[in-house]
Order: sequence, then C-alpha cells, then structure tokens
Amino acid sequence: METQAEQTLKDCAPYVRFAKLDELLALSRANSLWPLTFGLACCAIEMMAAGAARFDLARFGAEVFRPSPRQADLMIVAGTVNKKMAEAVKTLYDQMPEPKWVIAMGNCAISGGPFVFPGQYAVIEGVDKLFPVDVYIPGCPPRPEALIEGILKLEEKLTGKRRWPVVKSEPRA
Amino acid sequence: MATENQPNPSAVPTPPPASAPAPGASAPAAAPLPTPTPLPNPLAHLPLPFQPVDFLLRGYHVDASVEGGQAVSAAECLAKEGFALDTITGVDWMALGQMEVVYDYFHPTRVLRAVVRARIPRDNPEIPTISGVFPGANWHEREAHDFFGIRFLGHPNLTPFLLPEDATYHPLRKDFAL
Amino acid sequence: MIIEQTKPVLEGPKGDASPGRTDEPIAPGAVRASDAPAATGRETFVINLGPQHPATHGVLRVKMTMDGEYVVRAEPVCGYIHRMHEKMAENRTYAQFLPNTSRIDYLSAMTYTHAFVGAVERAAKIQVPRRAEYIRVITSELNRIASHLVWWGAFLLDLGGFTPLLYAFDDREKILDLLEGITGARLTYCYYRVGGLYNDVDDAFLNGTRTFVTEMRPRLKMYRALVTENIILRKRLIGIGPISAEMCRRYGATGPVIRGSGVSYDVRRLEPYSVYPEFDFEVPTFPEGDSMARYLVRMEEMAQSLRIIEQAVDKLPAGPVMAERVPRVLKLPMGDYCYAVEAARGRFMVRVVSDNKEIPYRVKLRTPCLSNLSLFEEASQGMLLPDALALMGSLDLVIPDIDR
Repeated sequence: METQAEQTLKDCAPYVRFAKLDELLALSRANSLWPLTFGLACCAIEMMAAGAARFDLARFGAEVFRPSPRQADLMIVAGTVNKKMAEAVKTLYDQMPEPKWVIAMGNCAISGGPFVFPGQYAVIEGVDKLFPVDVYIPGCPPRPEALIEGILKLEEKLTGKRRWPVVKSEPRA
Repeated sequence: MATENQPNPSAVPTPPPASAPAPGASAPAAAPLPTPTPLPNPLAHLPLPFQPVDFLLRGYHVDASVEGGQAVSAAECLAKEGFALDTITGVDWMALGQMEVVYDYFHPTRVLRAVVRARIPRDNPEIPTISGVFPGANWHEREAHDFFGIRFLGHPNLTPFLLPEDATYHPLRKDFAL
Repeated sequence: MIIEQTKPVLEGPKGDASPGRTDEPIAPGAVRASDAPAATGRETFVINLGPQHPATHGVLRVKMTMDGEYVVRAEPVCGYIHRMHEKMAENRTYAQFLPNTSRIDYLSAMTYTHAFVGAVERAAKIQVPRRAEYIRVITSELNRIASHLVWWGAFLLDLGGFTPLLYAFDDREKILDLLEGITGARLTYCYYRVGGLYNDVDDAFLNGTRTFVTEMRPRLKMYRALVTENIILRKRLIGIGPISAEMCRRYGATGPVIRGSGVSYDVRRLEPYSVYPEFDFEVPTFPEGDSMARYLVRMEEMAQSLRIIEQAVDKLPAGPVMAERVPRVLKLPMGDYCYAVEAARGRFMVRVVSDNKEIPYRVKLRTPCLSNLSLFEEASQGMLLPDALALMGSLDLVIPDIDR
C-alpha cells in the first residue's frame, strides 16, 4: 500500500522533477562557464579561433569571455607564464571568486613548453607551479577542437558524466 | 594613394636584375670565381671609415668600425643623411675580452643599409648613448644593457626593460650561469 | 585649460577641441601636446593598462599617467612574455632553432622563418630552387593576409565592433585550411628549411588558393563598404594619433606605420630578397599619418597580396623544392650575416654571428613591434584614452614580438 507521499510523487511526475541541488548547480555551472580573457601568447589566437564562428564555443555556453577576474569562473591560461608575469597571474587567480577552475592550454602552460632549456631563467615551467590546474590541454598550439574537448572534460569533472558524444576525426578526402 | 618611390638613382646600384633567383647565389664550386669588381661606397663623403660590403652576402651595404667615443658622431652624421635607426645590439667576444656594440641603420628611401660597430672593453663596458640623436635608441640600449651589461652613458632611464625590475644578471654574456 | 566641451563629440574632428585630434598634417619633428594638463597644476593619477587587458593584444603593461580622460604620459613596460629566443639560439643548431622563429610573431610565422633560413642560406651560399622560392612567396603572402585579418578583427573589437572579428576569422580559417594541408600546422608552421622546403605543394593547395583569391576579393569589397566607409569608424580614426614621417625615422618604425605616414618603405622593394622583384605589385602608401591611413594601408596590402599570390600561382615553375648538397651539419663561415623581410608588422631582420661552429655565436632578432611601440610614448601625449587605444591598435602590436 503506497503512502500518501509516494502517491503524491506519482501524481506529480509528469509536471515536476526532483534532483539534488548539487547536481543542478553543477549542471548549470558546467553549461555556462565564463572564461577569463587570459591569452598570453600564441595559444591565445587558437582560443580566439575557438570562440569565433567555425568552432564556436558558444554552443557550450562558454563564449562570454570576461575581462575582469571578478566576473569569471574559468581561467584558461593560454601561453607561456614568465617569472615577471607570475605575480600578476597569481593575483588574477586569487581575485576570481569560488568556485573557479583552471585549464592549462598549450605546452607552455603545462610544463614550460618549447622554451625549457638549460639556462632558461625567465619561464615558469608549468602554471601548476603557481596554482592547481583542473584540465591540461597539450599542443603547441592545441587546435580549437582540442580546447573544446578540454572544456568538455572540465564539464565532465563538474557533472560527473560526459554529456556530449565523442567525435572521431576522419581523414580528409 | 602614392605609389612606391623609385630608389634614388645616385644610390648604390640595385642588386642584379630581377630574374636572378636567390640571394647569395654563386656558381657550383667547379667554375672559377670572377675577379670581383670594387664595390661603390655611397657614404664615402662622410668622415666615417665606411667600407663597402657585398649586400648579397652580408645583407648590408656599408660597414664602419669606430671607437666607442665616436658612436654619437657617427649617429649624427647618419641622421643628417636621413638614415633611420634599425637596432642596437651587442656581441660578447669573451675570448678577446671585448664587447662589440653594433648599430644597424636603414635608409627609408634609398637602397642603403649601414652598420657601425664599436668595440669596448668587456670588464668595463661603457659607451655614450645615442638616444639624443635617435629617440628610438632608448629602448634598444636598455635591452642591450639588460642582456650584456653595457652601460650607456647619459641614458635617461637605464633600467631593466625585458628582464624583471630587480634583475641583476645579464643573460647573453657568455659566462652567464644560473 | 582643458576642453570646456560644449559641443557633442560626434560633431566631427573639427568641432572637437581635444588635443589629440587634428586634421592638419603634423609638422616634422613636432611633439604632441606637452602643454599637458599637468602643467596647469591639475592632479594626475597613474593607472595600469594591463598586463591583462583585452585591448593590449598580449601581455603589455602601459603605465599611464592620466589627467581625467587625457593621457599625460604613457610608459609601456615590457618583458611579461620574455622567453629569450636569442639565448635559445646560442644553444641550438641552426635547424633546431626553426620552431622558435614561428613563435616570435605567431601571426605571420612564415615570414619570420623566411628571414632566419634566408640568413643561413645567404651565409652558406646555398641556392634555393626557384619553385621553393615561389612557394615561399605564396605562403608568406597568405600568411600576411591572415595576419592582417586578425589585426582587423581585433582592432575593431577594441573600437567596439564585435562582428568583423567573426568575419575575419572565418576568412582566416580558409587560409589556415590551405596551409594546414601542406604544413600540418595552423598557426606556428615550421615549413621552410635551410635550402628550400621540406614538403612540396599539391594541386589541392593550388586550386584551393585560386578559389580563395576569387572568394576573398568580394569579401574585401564588403569590408570596405561595411566597415571602412562606416561613419563611426571614420570619426574614430581620422585625425587620431598623427605620426609624422620624421618621428618614424627617429624611432625606426617600419611597416604600415611608416607607410601610413607617407614614406613608401617596403623591404620587398628597398632590400630585395627572394623572388619579389619578379612580381608586379604596388606598395600602398598614404600621406596623412593618422590611424585611418595605417588602417587603409593594411586593407590595401591585403588586396596587393592577393595580386602577388595570383601571379605566383600562375607562374609557379616546376622543379625540386629543396637545394641539393645542403650539409647535414651546417657550419657557417665566420662573420655576421643579415637578412631582412617585410613581415606583416614591418621590417624583421635576423643577424646571425657565426664563429664557424654548428651553433650560432649570436642571433639578433630585430623585430618591428619594438620600434613601432617605442614611439607610442611620444605620440600619445595629450590624447583621450580611447584615442590612445585606437592609436595602439593601429600600430598592430604582437607583444611576444617585442619581448622575444
């Protein structure tokens, strides 16, 4: 015999959905990431191309690049981080309000990239020496599709499951 | 809209006619080299020791080696001729105990590139600044100071330009070690 | 003193009393507005433009001393993306340095690689096959168009218009598809080698290039009608940021900056290299010296690049693309060698000093943006802040080019 509560749930089912608040918040955050415009070097151009018409980050809700860190929740570090610049990067990271995520885009942000050589005095070998990174996107520069895949990986980290199909690339005819 | 200027007819003759394929071309090793004709020196009228140089080999037309103290007067002469400052750089000849300061100039309307060099002692590298003649030298000299430690006397602001503000090292010196 | 502005700004340059705007050509050697507001004892404050800023096109910090909206002094501070290519060159062989050359100015990467391999070939007296020279010209000019498209989109984004950026990137994607087909890379190509190219082009590339040229010409017409002749753009650019030819000479500014000030200085004409003398093209020059002139120079350059590409594709000779007998271990004779190219931003020169070893003794990269930016301090005195940004955008800066 069903309780009154169970009966009510069954009656409401066509009109009302229930979910955990955490999951709802995660879904809405994942669907509307607001990146900080933080292009440092060459990867910035591929980031701009990802936001432009062909690759279109707007499909994933992430096209609103904010210039101010106070309004952003995703920092895409695209380019080489210098020792002179490191302080500014750390300040920007600190100024972003929680919850915040970091994507290290490109080889320079992951590990210093092609600029690591014995005697390199200027480059920080990887932005994860400054603050925690959530997703690493290798490439020099990574293609815009790679950046989109990185953002989808971040969404998977947020929501727990990947909500978009995996696209297999095919050789051009 | 103006079309491009014709090069000054009294300037150095232009390189071989347009059908020549690539610069630096020379016949394969088997053929004997022709006797070189003496190259003209379009800056011979200046009180500077300019030597003509093969442009196709070196990439500049005239080259002068001066003393460190003459760099400013060289810059003034070239400025009067209408040259523009291209770049200032250094080369660290550690084995010889010298630093070479190289000034590159280009002319905006003539096919003419000039290079002025000065060698200064490596353990006390000082040379007067030319930023009074060419304000663009300001940044180039700051960069040369950053990389080599060359002190440009009279420079208005010889602070680190590309290195962090508190840097005390000079990376392009041959004895630079982290 | 300043500017009791009673008239609305949109009335036009003549009706606007701000000191940064003028319709007269600037006198040679004249310096803008040192009758600065601070001389009257008004209070100034210092703000930082950058290093993280959407309009600085990279990590540039400009310490601006402001009197209200007027710039008293703008001092660029560089070094935030200094990665030391020149030191890396002393630790790499000539072939190992090639990837670095693309990353100095990544928007016109082909031209920078061209300068470096040209310097090495000049020193080693390596003769590049004609087919390789032609393909180098085609790819360099395609790269120039792509670079100007990015500049155009970003410049208009700075001025407040978002749509041209999308159109520009769309056109640029077509170019990148072509170049990806032969090089495999979209942005930082490493296509040229010492002695030629490592990969020949195929028919798909040549047909695609011809198609691209025919598609691009109507697009340029559309950009002219929609953007260049737009009244808002004209009011924002005409008369803004006058730079005289004398100022360009004193600072060594090259490229569209000097060509927008009436001096027809183009490295392809005044220091001829590669096979450029064989092509029929004009060097666009505008005498006004303001931001609009620099803008028009670049738009015209895109059209001229299309002309060069068309001629090169038509006249492309058959043959090998790599010189014979290029030594695997390359040692250059002693001495220094220069090679200059006309990159999208101006004159880029590589000076290689060799002491007869496999690795160069010193490589100096003379980059155009450093000289172009060095005149910003003098040129921006007394301007309104948005006008100063329009001036900076019209200089077309890529900051890793300055910091190397």
